[in-house]
Amino acid sequence: MAAEPPKRQKREEYKRSLAADDGALPKKKFFRQRAHANPFSDHALTYPKSPAEMDWASVYPAFAVKKPAQGEDVKEIDESRADGQAAHKEEQKKTRAITKDVEIADIGCGFGGLLFALSTTFPDTLSLVTEYVQEKIRALRSQNAENQAYQNIGCLRANTMKFLPNFFRKHQLRAIFLCFPDPHFKQRKHKARIVSSPLCSEYAYVMKPGGYVYTITDVRDLHEWMVGHFAGHASWARVEGSELAEGEVGQCVATMSTETEEGKKVTRNNGQKFIAVFRRVEDPAWLGEEHGQT
Amino acid sequence: MTLPYQCLAACTRPVSDGHEWLLFGATGSELVAQSSSGIVSTWTPESAILAESDREDAQEGPPAKRAKLTPVAEPKPNLSHLKVTKDGTYLVAVTAEDKCIRVFQIGDQCRLEQLSQRCMAKRPSSITLTADDSIILCADKFGDVYSLPLLSSPEDEQAVIPEPKEDQKKFEPSASVLTVHSGRNRKALEEQLKQAQKGPKQVKDTPKFKHQLIIGHVSMLTDVVCATIGSRSYILTADRDEHIRVSRGLPQAHIIDGFCQGHEEFVSRLCFTKSGRLVSGGGDPYLYLWDWLSYHLEEKLPLQELIFGHYKGHPYHTGAAEFKVAVSGIWAVPDSAQEILVACEGIPALVSFKLGSSSRTGKVLPLNGNVLDLAFIASDAGGAIAAISIDHVHHPGSTQEVRQEPGASRLQCLSNYNSGEWEDDKTLTGSLERFSRPMPNEERESGIASEADRGKADNKAKALRDLLYGVENLRKRPGAED
Repeated sequence: MAAEPPKRQKREEYKRSLAADDGALPKKKFFRQRAHANPFSDHALTYPKSPAEMDWASVYPAFAVKKPAQGEDVKEIDESRADGQAAHKEEQKKTRAITKDVEIADIGCGFGGLLFALSTTFPDTLSLVTEYVQEKIRALRSQNAENQAYQNIGCLRANTMKFLPNFFRKHQLRAIFLCFPDPHFKQRKHKARIVSSPLCSEYAYVMKPGGYVYTITDVRDLHEWMVGHFAGHASWARVEGSELAEGEVGQCVATMSTETEEGKKVTRNNGQKFIAVFRRVEDPAWLGEEHGQT
Repeated sequence: MTLPYQCLAACTRPVSDGHEWLLFGATGSELVAQSSSGIVSTWTPESAILAESDREDAQEGPPAKRAKLTPVAEPKPNLSHLKVTKDGTYLVAVTAEDKCIRVFQIGDQCRLEQLSQRCMAKRPSSITLTADDSIILCADKFGDVYSLPLLSSPEDEQAVIPEPKEDQKKFEPSASVLTVHSGRNRKALEEQLKQAQKGPKQVKDTPKFKHQLIIGHVSMLTDVVCATIGSRSYILTADRDEHIRVSRGLPQAHIIDGFCQGHEEFVSRLCFTKSGRLVSGGGDPYLYLWDWLSYHLEEKLPLQELIFGHYKGHPYHTGAAEFKVAVSGIWAVPDSAQEILVACEGIPALVSFKLGSSSRTGKVLPLNGNVLDLAFIASDAGGAIAAISIDHVHHPGSTQEVRQEPGASRLQCLSNYNSGEWEDDKTLTGSLERFSRPMPNEERESGIASEADRGKADNKAKALRDLLYGVENLRKRPGAED
């Protein structure tokens, strides 16, 4: 505890100096990685009420529908008039929207290695995922200003186990990455794992049919747990065999196993990596409507 | 001390000369039933303990070490939820402390016979029955919804008795020194290895009856309701994190159909109007009215404003600025397509909203004390009668202060068949006199109380507050970082 104040002080000083230099890459040691946060506690996180109210434009400014004009303040609007309020809301929605939907999510991004690799692999899709990453994105965007690189990645601090549907609409995503999630070894803690059958339902909700969930871990037990839950869920089918090496799936699997920080660590330690990929299958017809009648 | 009725339920069933209604009330751990013919019966958990001990004996193997099984000084579990099947044959009750779902057969003369008691792993926070009354859906504080058959057949019991594990697999730790991510994890791994040397792990206590996890939130669930639209059935769940989730009905409940998004505080109650719209309420100052099949928020009804307006200058109400309403109940009025009644925690009134009319402003209906629960009784006169359980212990308008003047009734009845407006129904209040009167074996509190006694009384008072008023506690407190 005694060592904390100077550490914090150093962090703050460093961040101030960083703010002055747009193109400088941040150094990891000055950032606190919020790994393994308790998913059940009420963190003072901000989250939108619904995907429509999400301020994506601040995360992906290059894709904003409406560029903020110079010196534009919040317009004065007579709040007592209902139509004025509605117009204000519409206006707000427009400034928050982006021209393209986010389609790839890396849940629990760590230092963001996967994200930066994906940014160049899939230049025309927006992908999303801690403070470090936000700074690094800022630096890389600034360094690559002339070719507009790294504009397509963003990072948020959020609790996806609770609020995934607050960020994404039904069937919005085409890929979710769950890389080296907290294994929560104790049985008592299994509910805190990022994969459970109820959460498989939630991932299925935000994933478009035909989209993929990619999982990788160095813990065999957790691998079996994730496979058991996804494969046992009616909305998911495991992808096996040659399909794992082909096309976008192959690219994602390769990137995931080599580009994540945790993946590199495991390689250094000669550890094992367990990979599994699951496809979102089409929802079945409602009960009693199987033959196309309504 | 006579406790108020923390929950009520009612049903109608055919008898030889027409119909009779039955009213059920839970007061502490006791269940009271009365029929329209005036017959009253009571049930207490003691009557079930015998059956429980039988069941324990039947278990094989060495008795598991469980502190909970010494029922010597164990306080009796309080009932927290009541639900009656539509035909008035079965009553489902939940006891809070022991997390038990109990199913009763409603016999002649209101006699309640307990058919089953199934203890869940986590405390149920809401229960409902599917449209055909064959399955209980139980939502719990852990965020999960389980489905259980209303009546468990012997085959069901057989099916879930775990088969003896084919020779215990040799224990292998799931982690290795390579995979641990932190000092804590390393300790956990050491602990696991130590545990493994001690011998095979004891199988964790899972409920020994048929139950299936069908839906889960990563948040405390507050309500679960079922709906059927045409051939499609739905299950709606509400949680502490502002969510209202719409899932398909069984057996496709794993498919999430959508979310009704818009609440800014916890959601505590869901209710369908007779015309099929959804009303939700919780910690927000508004009730939300949804066209829920399209996930569209139709309207926000100003609830808090209305209540504040009514109690302005009222002696009971201090008008404290930090006071917020917390919806504890929403009920659709039978025989009315659009009217709902709403109760808020610690408010001595109901609020009526007529959602169909052009002016949707609500009306405050003041009552004798804080509203705890409500059940509609079918009336022959064509209107609706509401039996309302009143907190006769606490001061109207307060969840803390104890009432000074004694003798307040535990029940108040309102009806609307005379004028279409809600007014006190003295006839029914009279016929429910035995239901509402204090229990006969009420111990008199002695005038002189020692310090210890007073401490005990304080604890008791707090326990009662927790039993009656739990909704406001759902509100998130600011400053909960990390």
